[in-house]
Amino acid sequence: MATNPMHQFTVHRMGPEIKIANIDLSFTNASLFMAISAFSIFIFLFLGTKEKKLIPGKLQLISEMFYNFVAKMISDTAGSKAKPYFPFIFSLFMFILFCNMIGMLPYSFTVTSHIIVTLVLAIFIFVAVTIIGFMKHGIGYLKLFVPSGVPALLLPLITVIEIISYLSRPVSLSVRLFANMMAGHTMLKVFGGFVISLGLLGGWLPLGFSVALTGLEILVAFLQAYVFAILTCIYLNDALNLHH
Amino acid sequence: MFYNKDFKTRLKIAKSKLKKNFDTEEEKRGSYMGFAFKLGTDLVAAVAVGTIIGFILDSWFGTKPWLIIIFFFLGAIAGILNVIRTANRMQEKD
Repeated sequence: MATNPMHQFTVHRMGPEIKIANIDLSFTNASLFMAISAFSIFIFLFLGTKEKKLIPGKLQLISEMFYNFVAKMISDTAGSKAKPYFPFIFSLFMFILFCNMIGMLPYSFTVTSHIIVTLVLAIFIFVAVTIIGFMKHGIGYLKLFVPSGVPALLLPLITVIEIISYLSRPVSLSVRLFANMMAGHTMLKVFGGFVISLGLLGGWLPLGFSVALTGLEILVAFLQAYVFAILTCIYLNDALNLHH
Repeated sequence: MFYNKDFKTRLKIAKSKLKKNFDTEEEKRGSYMGFAFKLGTDLVAAVAVGTIIGFILDSWFGTKPWLIIIFFFLGAIAGILNVIRTANRMQEKD
């Protein structure tokens, strides 16, 4: 069981079973690691912004770097109109980044390797962006599905294609994060298993691969958080500045 | 007063320098890699969504195999459209 590469993804209950109206609301290891991520973000930013020095210390420097990074990302992709949504995108980015990074620690659990977690995040963004679009442009938001300069004959076909393209957003957003995290962690475990089974003689090669893969996984963990956040910005941009 | 002014001009110069090399090669490569991750899933997700819509519409109207076939191809077109849009966005950034 310990060598099963998928065993690391099992969700198990911790503590007593809580059931409300047939819905299992027990505290699981997934909830524990979500809480750990949220709490470590809080601690990190709290310590980073406690002493507001002109010449920043290490923690302050890193937290200011994150702030600048997200602020630049929003202004580059969605313009100044998206400024009010900074807190949302910043918390989204930090949460996914910390979930991914904490998942890289040995004996930990990767929350984002479960499609239900990423799908809920993606559907929330999808619904929120759609509501924002309708609030800003009214019924004119539907123009997103009707590109200008298309012959009338092709218009129904193009509209259907645009609607499919729009609906595919949450799917691709969630599947990308989930698949990357799950594939990476499975691969790490498989190579780790090779080290044990090949023993002292042949185990060095997969060990080297494991080290290289760990580096790659840290890159992917950061990149996936970045992609998730920047795509949220791009979708926000579509909703705020309607042009096609 | 003089010192203050001096500091402000120095800050201005430093800021303009910062703006110049804001988009370093490393940063660009990172964002391109992000877009590359986007391309693959976008193509597949649109096909999947199209097929699911076709399946649902089929069971609504009882036109069993036809709508799923049509919507599969429409999904494929939507996926290619997604990829072309992402590629255009990457070129704009350059």
